[in-house]
Amino acid sequence: MNRRRAGRILTAVLIAALAVPLMYGMVQLPAPGHADAPAHTNVSAGYIERGAELGGSENLVTGVLLNFRALDTFGEVLVIFTAWLAVAAVAGTASNAERDPVPPSPVVDYVIRLLGPFIAIFALFVIVNGHVLPGGGFQGGVLLGAMLILLSLVMDAETVARAVSARSWIWLRATGVLVFAMVAVMGLPLAGYLFGLPDEPGLRQVLTVALELGIGIGGGAVLAGLFFAIAGADRS
Amino acid sequence: MTGSVTAKYREMRVNATDLFDLVLLALLLTCAIGIARLKDLAACAILFSAYSFILCLVWAHRGAPDVAMTEAAVGAGITTVLFLVVISRVGRREK
Amino acid sequence: MKIAATALSHVDYLVAVALFLTGAWILLTSGNLVKKVIGLNIMETSVFAFIVTTGMIDGGAPPLVAPGDPGPFASPLPHALVLTGIVVAVSVTSLALVLILRVRAEFGSVELDEIALSLAAGDTAEQSERHGSADD
Repeated sequence: MNRRRAGRILTAVLIAALAVPLMYGMVQLPAPGHADAPAHTNVSAGYIERGAELGGSENLVTGVLLNFRALDTFGEVLVIFTAWLAVAAVAGTASNAERDPVPPSPVVDYVIRLLGPFIAIFALFVIVNGHVLPGGGFQGGVLLGAMLILLSLVMDAETVARAVSARSWIWLRATGVLVFAMVAVMGLPLAGYLFGLPDEPGLRQVLTVALELGIGIGGGAVLAGLFFAIAGADRS
Repeated sequence: MTGSVTAKYREMRVNATDLFDLVLLALLLTCAIGIARLKDLAACAILFSAYSFILCLVWAHRGAPDVAMTEAAVGAGITTVLFLVVISRVGRREK
Repeated sequence: MKIAATALSHVDYLVAVALFLTGAWILLTSGNLVKKVIGLNIMETSVFAFIVTTGMIDGGAPPLVAPGDPGPFASPLPHALVLTGIVVAVSVTSLALVLILRVRAEFGSVELDEIALSLAAGDTAEQSERHGSADD
């Protein structure tokens, strides 16, 4: 395999050529943690000073995601939903190889069944407390998705996938997009612009939690759907 | 109740790079180089899971608990499971 | 001495670059499609590591702001950015993996060499078939 060897040498040269400017550029930056690093010298201070008050959530990351940069987050929710559509479309034509028939050990089985409800409760806690604690829609959503995947590892994936009808799965996966679009349009009468949250604290809190729940449930269902599609268990 | 939990989070101030960070970063590099050298794809997937978990520790130590939580669930959990499912279909030996 | 001090203070950035290059090496040199996706994931996470590191500040707390807390706080913007990035990364990975399964169903292999061989064989088979039908 002489060609392969030549390719590896060429790649090594390329990577070394890439390494020099990257490393050089990195040491020119202010050291990480310095207050004059680019991330701290521009808009960041404003977000930290007034973000909690204007965005309505003490956890600034949630505030940025759901309020200041809501359009980006809407795009992202669309991205994962589209990714699931694409994966399901391709997986429908992939060969349905037989799955591993070996059952997991009874200990693993028992522990996962025991943990399932606790993970679900923790995920819900993370979702609805996203505005005060670390967490939020995506973080709780991926926990929900991980729980569904974990359960389908010990139970039959098909059983978990069929716990909800195929039609309902599609609606669940679209929850994030639908709730987000709804709140975005509600921003027009309530705040005067798209994706705006009202200034009234109680209403804003309700809408924030609704957004987080939508993203969480939608994200979890989409991630589980990605797994079901790839594992060949999605019959929808 | 959430107030006391929030107070706990506020106590974890990050500092400039310390020995703990250096060890974690060295482990990260070890995992990445291990993935580059190993020919067994299943081992690569598990190493990638370990890599994600170490990265998640680094981020938790950097004052980014949100990102660390997501990486722990997505990188170390879901992505690894997806890799393992695919590897169980296509064979674990790399030529 | 100065170089060593700079390297130590920038060690997070330098490790992120090293991880990026390792991922690029895996992506470029491995002939196995699944391994390539793992390499791509390492490149992605190294960029995330870099972005999160830019947001940290010495003695800073996580960006959970309560009235009267003096700070300093880590910048929340890189965190939100990376959160978005992680979820997009898992979408990209799953799409790539399902396409790999499709490639496997089509060519019976996920090694680039073998796929190229079977593509070449398929081409010649097709050509001879076409020639055969032309002869008829």
